[in-house]
Amino acid sequence: MIECPVCKHQEFVGTLYCSECGARLASVSSFPTVSIPADQITEESMATKPTAPEGPELSSGALLGLRIISTGDVLSLIGRDNYTLGRSGKDQAIIPDADLESYDAYEKGVSRLHAEIRLTRTSISIIDLESANGTLVNGKRINPQEPTPIRHGDMIQLGRMRLQLISRLRK
Amino acid sequence: MPGDKDYYSLLGVPRSASTEQIRRAYREAALRLHPDRNIQPGETEIFIDVGKAYETLIDDERRAAYDEMLAQKEAELAEKSCYNCQLFHSRSKILKLDEPQVHYVLLKLRTSDHLPELRPSVNLCIVIDRSTSMRGQRMDQVRTAVLTILGDLQENDTASVVAFSDRAEVIVTADQSRDLPTSRARLSLLQADGGTEIGQGLQSGITELERRVGADCVNHLILITDGRTYGDEDLCLELADYAHDHSISINCIGIGSDWNDRLLDDISSRTGGSVVFQNTPAAVTDLLHNIFDSLSRVVASGVHLEGAIGQQLDLRSAFRISPDPMPLGDNLPLLLGNLIRDETIELLLELVIHPLSTDDLLTIAHFNISGDFLSNNVDCTDLPLPVIVEVTTQPETEPPCGDIVNALNKIAMYRLQDKARHEAELGQVKQAARRLENLATHLLSYGEKELAKAALNEAVRLNQSRRISSEGEKTLKYGTRALLLPAKTGDS
Repeated sequence: MIECPVCKHQEFVGTLYCSECGARLASVSSFPTVSIPADQITEESMATKPTAPEGPELSSGALLGLRIISTGDVLSLIGRDNYTLGRSGKDQAIIPDADLESYDAYEKGVSRLHAEIRLTRTSISIIDLESANGTLVNGKRINPQEPTPIRHGDMIQLGRMRLQLISRLRK
Repeated sequence: MPGDKDYYSLLGVPRSASTEQIRRAYREAALRLHPDRNIQPGETEIFIDVGKAYETLIDDERRAAYDEMLAQKEAELAEKSCYNCQLFHSRSKILKLDEPQVHYVLLKLRTSDHLPELRPSVNLCIVIDRSTSMRGQRMDQVRTAVLTILGDLQENDTASVVAFSDRAEVIVTADQSRDLPTSRARLSLLQADGGTEIGQGLQSGITELERRVGADCVNHLILITDGRTYGDEDLCLELADYAHDHSISINCIGIGSDWNDRLLDDISSRTGGSVVFQNTPAAVTDLLHNIFDSLSRVVASGVHLEGAIGQQLDLRSAFRISPDPMPLGDNLPLLLGNLIRDETIELLLELVIHPLSTDDLLTIAHFNISGDFLSNNVDCTDLPLPVIVEVTTQPETEPPCGDIVNALNKIAMYRLQDKARHEAELGQVKQAARRLENLATHLLSYGEKELAKAALNEAVRLNQSRRISSEGEKTLKYGTRALLLPAKTGDS
């Protein structure tokens, strides 16, 4: 079985969309989790342990993260291939995947659904979802609804909130 | 080879069957078909064939020779078949696992290129609900739409018109249908009054079509209604089955929000047709025109997928993606509907593979595609479709086939609304509302603002009044299905 990273629902190996919450399951490994008894762990399998990601930033399993410049916190983005950025309001049903509410998003002019980050196997892009105050990448304003490629280390500005993209895709 | 069937399907065993399975299947068939016991005429002949099949398959050497001959024959059939089918897999190799896994197969079915271009004659019957609720704009629009179709008829086409309330009446007969002044006069007399008994309308419509059912024409019934039928649901379904047996397909058009979508879905899927939801009657003319246009390009009707799924697998669901997106249940044969020139039938199968013991090749299924070709000049052989994949122990790094992922993304949204509706009906209001909110998020990130808004509205309504509105149900159901249509796929 594999587990949906969003709602923890169990699905058969090979399932591409969670039947419970509709989330894409592709970035989940197609191999099920296997437990290896301690006495069978060889040196070789120890040696294949992945190296830690650079910096203090990403939680394990995350390909992407956003560093909030004002506080230095890192939001990890896990388990999907597109993430909406914005802030949750009171009595509002839609909660963006990366909720910036707790970082004074309202005061800094972040829209409820401000932008979206899309991840493919080879690239990352950001799309402004027609936000009120616009989105800037490395200081340049991007056109709404137009995917703009971004890379590890790029500065993203939503309204007046500044974020830095952290990525394990280093191309 | 006796008749159309190969020895394996004659015995009802998969191609990978063991000797023991073959022996058991033979014994069972022989008991049933033995000349001393059988009832139906022709069963003695089948008994003899089954005997031949058994003798061949039980002997390893003869079975090997037969398998080779069968594979060759099927390859030849596929070559000169009138169908052209492409297969896509979610993974090109199956991972050898000792737990169940899911695998998706996408079929794209077209006519092969060497077919002559022929326009079939259309034998159409339009069945109109004339109950009180249709009064006014709805009836006016429908009347205009029907007249447009009558004006489009070509020399060998016919289109009868039936109107029903508590009982049915033939307004325009097939013979009158190309006499425009008469049919216009007849239609102008059509007044809305009375209840809704869909069974009456279907019965009368099918009778009209049967006056002219022929091998070389497309027989089709279009049902236009805005209400719920009262107490004759079973009759409607029986009539749908009857229509299918007599090569008649049925499309349903539901106007407004008070009709029974589940019944209409059931009626049309039993005949390979589809259902369209029209919030306002304004677009009925375009809709009828499009249906008529497709009918005049039908190459084969009643196309279906039959055969046997491999032993180590189960079919979990089947979804027709194109031309009319709709779930098709999980039982073979699957009725795919009309095959239209220059258009593709796309079908997505979701299969569960049980823990695997084989090492090299896995037979997913031996399908067979068949249908009724409308032209007599075409030698229409079925298309045998073996589906076999490699088994591997290495997890695959390639991303799954893009078309499959795209389709599943939309089907996932369709299923969310389906689940929410079931939960709402069971009184699990909170859960249903949360699911609709979740659906709204998915729809928004897909750029479907209107549908997302509808989903959110229904979530609010659920929390307030514990129910989804019947308009909302239909908007979400047919709206999420429509996401699979080609026009919507382009901008993703």
